[in-house]
Amino acid sequence: MAETSDNTNKRDYSMFEADLSGQVLNMHLLGRLLTWLKPYKYQLIISSILVLIASTFQVLLPIIISLVAIDHIFRNESDADTPDFGLIELNTWLTDLSGLHPLIIACAMYAVARLVWAVTGHAHRMTLIGAVINGLRDMRMDLFRHLETRPSSFYDRVAVGRVMTRVTNDVEALYEMLRGIGGLVGEFVPFFVALTVMLAVDVQLTLILLMVLPLLAVVTLYFRRITRHLFRQVRQTLSALNQNMQENLAGLQVVQLSDRQDYNLKRYTDINESNRDFELRSARVETLYGAFNDSLAHIAIGVIIYYGAVEIMEMRMTMGEVVLFTQFIGMLFHPVVVLGEQTNILFRAMASGERIFQAIDWDEKIHEPKNPATLPERLRGEVKFQHVDFAYDKTIPVLKDVSFTIAPGEKLAIVGPTGSGKSTLIRLLGRFYDFVDGQIFLDGVDLNHIHSHDLRRRVGVVLQDFHIFSGSIYDNIALGNPQITRERAVEAAKTVNAHDFITSLADGYDSELTERGQNLSQGQRQLLAFARVLAADPEILVLDEATANIDTETELLIQDALRRLTEGRTSILIAHRLQTIQEADRVLVLHHGQVEELGTHEELLAAEGLYHTLHQLQFQDDDAPNP
Amino acid sequence: MLASLWRLRHFIYPYRARWFAGIIAFGFARGFEVMVPILMAVSINRIAEGNFDVTLPVLGIVGAVSLRYLVVTYARYSVRKTGLNVAFDLRQRLYNDLQDQGAEFFSKYTIGDMMTRAVADISLIQRLISMGTILLVILVYATVAGYAAMLYYSPLLTACMLIPMPMVYWYALYSSRRMGIASREVQDRLSDMGAHVQENLSGIRTIQAMVQEENEIKRFSHTNQAYADAFYEQGRINSAMTAWMPSLADICVLFILGYGGYMVLQGQMPIGNFVAFITLVNMVVQPFRVAGFIVNLFQRAAVASDRLHEVMDLEPEISDAPSGSTPAQIQGDIVIRHLSYRYPGSDQTVIDDVSFEVAKGETVAIMGRVGMGKTTLLKQLVRLLDPAPGSIYVDGHDVRDYPLAQVRAQMALVPQDPFLFGEPLKDNLTYDDPNRALDAIWDAATSADLKNTIEEFPEQLNTLVGERGVTLSGGQKQRATLARGLIRHAPVLILDDCFSAVDTETEEHILSELKRLRQQQTTLLVSHRVSTARHADRIYVLEDGRILENGTHDELLAAKGYYAELERVQREGAEDEDFARARVGV
Repeated sequence: MAETSDNTNKRDYSMFEADLSGQVLNMHLLGRLLTWLKPYKYQLIISSILVLIASTFQVLLPIIISLVAIDHIFRNESDADTPDFGLIELNTWLTDLSGLHPLIIACAMYAVARLVWAVTGHAHRMTLIGAVINGLRDMRMDLFRHLETRPSSFYDRVAVGRVMTRVTNDVEALYEMLRGIGGLVGEFVPFFVALTVMLAVDVQLTLILLMVLPLLAVVTLYFRRITRHLFRQVRQTLSALNQNMQENLAGLQVVQLSDRQDYNLKRYTDINESNRDFELRSARVETLYGAFNDSLAHIAIGVIIYYGAVEIMEMRMTMGEVVLFTQFIGMLFHPVVVLGEQTNILFRAMASGERIFQAIDWDEKIHEPKNPATLPERLRGEVKFQHVDFAYDKTIPVLKDVSFTIAPGEKLAIVGPTGSGKSTLIRLLGRFYDFVDGQIFLDGVDLNHIHSHDLRRRVGVVLQDFHIFSGSIYDNIALGNPQITRERAVEAAKTVNAHDFITSLADGYDSELTERGQNLSQGQRQLLAFARVLAADPEILVLDEATANIDTETELLIQDALRRLTEGRTSILIAHRLQTIQEADRVLVLHHGQVEELGTHEELLAAEGLYHTLHQLQFQDDDAPNP
Repeated sequence: MLASLWRLRHFIYPYRARWFAGIIAFGFARGFEVMVPILMAVSINRIAEGNFDVTLPVLGIVGAVSLRYLVVTYARYSVRKTGLNVAFDLRQRLYNDLQDQGAEFFSKYTIGDMMTRAVADISLIQRLISMGTILLVILVYATVAGYAAMLYYSPLLTACMLIPMPMVYWYALYSSRRMGIASREVQDRLSDMGAHVQENLSGIRTIQAMVQEENEIKRFSHTNQAYADAFYEQGRINSAMTAWMPSLADICVLFILGYGGYMVLQGQMPIGNFVAFITLVNMVVQPFRVAGFIVNLFQRAAVASDRLHEVMDLEPEISDAPSGSTPAQIQGDIVIRHLSYRYPGSDQTVIDDVSFEVAKGETVAIMGRVGMGKTTLLKQLVRLLDPAPGSIYVDGHDVRDYPLAQVRAQMALVPQDPFLFGEPLKDNLTYDDPNRALDAIWDAATSADLKNTIEEFPEQLNTLVGERGVTLSGGQKQRATLARGLIRHAPVLILDDCFSAVDTETEEHILSELKRLRQQQTTLLVSHRVSTARHADRIYVLEDGRILENGTHDELLAAKGYYAELERVQREGAEDEDFARARVGV
């Protein structure tokens, strides 16, 4: 147990902030990605078979035009050595069979091939997309499940936004890549089929045309490299631009009071200009490259015709074969272009994959007992801290040798200056952090022997900033617990004075709340949190009192509700209001992580110690006569 | 829609020459492109006739391709450049306009809304100009050039093309519009998912405290599935379009193969023309893949244009029209005469006929409960809100007659909300004048009791604050804001409840220091604390926008009114907000 709780200090959280650029092709990473596709492997196999069929039929179309129509039907000069996939024979056979004109048969063949290509191509894409989308959906699920169960210590250190983009943008980048790889298959199969046919027709011309490919590849890769760099700068300046504007608007009042409009506009202009310059530069590169590919393909057509004319004259090629070459040229060049398009996506996906695995591999967790203790049906509610030491970061101790006992049903108020360790104390009680030094007992059972889920059902925690789940008010009180019926929820709401405001809402208990609860006031949210915890009826209540300013009327409701909530229940209250403190059975004064004083309000005042000082402090300026 | 887009003409106007040059160049490019199948046809026809010298037409192809490359590159760049320039200008204009807007504006529009306009709407207009127009132009040119060449070869066969073409166009338009809808659905579901994860993880502590992990994972699976479904649907539409659109276009090829082939066999059409026809059909059909996209882009850009103009058409809220007869230096005599104020669009009077005077060198405190008009009153002094003419006088002149910049520079308001920019502390303190001397900065920091705090930071004044730097506590932020106001040594200092997060002791210390430094100068302060107000020469209590009572601390106590009651309540600590914050032993 000792080693697991140590690990928070060794971890390097900064990796969540690092800007990964993914410069290398990481095969291990790709392999790991495939594990999510494994459940869909049959779908992927079917997809691969379909793409083979589709590609073959794709290649048949130009063959029907050039070899069947032009050579066979128009000029009747077919070269028997040219692979025509038996189409000429089929045409002749069907013509004889039907007695129709061979042109009509060619049309029919063309239509069928076209249809088969369309259908199998569509089916190939859909099976592929389906497998990839499902695989990545599962990955997001795993990622979310993993993140949802990381302990508080993780979220203390890592910004939520950083983690969030891993679930959204990064998984999307992987989709782009996997779909891209699938698309490449669809490009390269026809490439090889066409290449085979071309080689069979004329090796020399094919080789001449192939010589263009390396040039195309080099230009494409070079272009991608330049734009990758430029795009990054465009993105950076754009986000700087937006950030500048956002901040300027947020602080506009200060800007106007300081008469900084002109100066700020100038700064904005500078960023705007540098953004435009990068945009223009990438536009220049992109337009230069943009028309390059099709121009090269068109030039190749010129080469084919020039070379073909000689070959036809020498009777080494037929007219149809020359036309076939011009029609195949697209299939020959296109894969290289697509490959170039994929490199940027690939690099981006590598970085994304790394980020995703980084999060999935993050194994920080709360240590759960191997053989958890079984708690009785109902706890008495005795809480005992025994020599508890704790530090988030080894160098700064937060709790030092904390020992105290709360009797069942007792109300204990914890007070102390900010940073004295109050919140930490209740966090340990909810087992949000592992601790090793010292022990906490719940009815005599060591906390570390209780499973955290079991424990958290017994200890009801109301945090200062409580989370409202999207759903109805009732959902928010019951929180999916089937034992909390509507009656019980209403009962709880009534007890904590929340019933009145709830029924005043248009839909009462069925009113939909937005997440973060913007449509409720601070005071209403507090009451709702009370209702939630009361409905769950925990044996022990832990409350971090909200410090927000609440109007007096609601304040009275809250105090009254708190009284009922804590009645007969062991309660630990981090108190900010004098009234809360005065109503507690005892007060624990925490200072620099140590128990400074413990006793009733009156006892502590009489002792004239730290509590006395704390209590007196705000009155010390007050020399006005007492009425 | 066209009216909305027409409003953009002023922004395109400065770049019109380059833009039109680009559009015309596209026409030439398309012309050169059509030359390729035509010259191909010439070559094939020659070969078919037994003339194997195709040097000239092949050179023609190479020439046409090279020229097309040059022209099309120029055209694309020109048009894109226009779009980028327009976006640049729109951003400048919007930024500049927004800087002059005030409270009324921002009660109507949120910052998020403005950011959407600045980012998404401007980018839509940029895309319309640099992409939408290209696509539209290509579509028109391709149709004209393609059909012209086909007509030249065979009017009858061209007429045959008109049978399947409407179907192809309809399908292209239909699918690409559905594609647009599906893409937006994907974007929406993606941002749903982002919001879901963000909100969920923000509340992770409560979720875990309430043992809600499994429920939340289940809930996420719905959001996740909805996104996957939207993605699949988008993929399906895209794939179907990839499959069927060229298939429909190939009906044209069937006509060429059947009827064109018949003409070839009859000797009515040379084989070269037959081949060229097939190439030309593709040329005519291809651009239509994006037809729906273009329509969509035009519609969305029109909305974007309206949204931008809605903001840019507004006049600055506060007019800066100095009379020219006001003194260059404000002394600090303030007279408020029958001042009333209600926020535009509201029927509630926030300030109701308030009159009082503050003589040069006096310190005046304004008290009252939340929402009683204290901040509204102070904001009018420096014209963050505009007072009615003739209601606020500074040194005998209507405050509206002074240059706006002078009022705000010489009457320094420290606002309630302590806003700091994500910049080094030093830049925050010298926000109004980045060239201030270091001594002045430290002096102001000392007066605001911020010196020790700054010295605790390893980088001292260069400490970056905010999200990317050090997060300051509420009290530290307020003191930094205060230092930013004090550094100006303004004849009039206006403090709007800027000690709420500072503990009483520190506040006391700062105020007594200020009293010493600003003996001959005017100070107005708003506070909730009696302990703050009692040092003032005069105290005004506002209630429902009116002056409820006024006098010195002792007078008001003797009057046993609101102030006296407040004093009693605060002394007994019913409003016990300082308790937890009190610093002990430091």
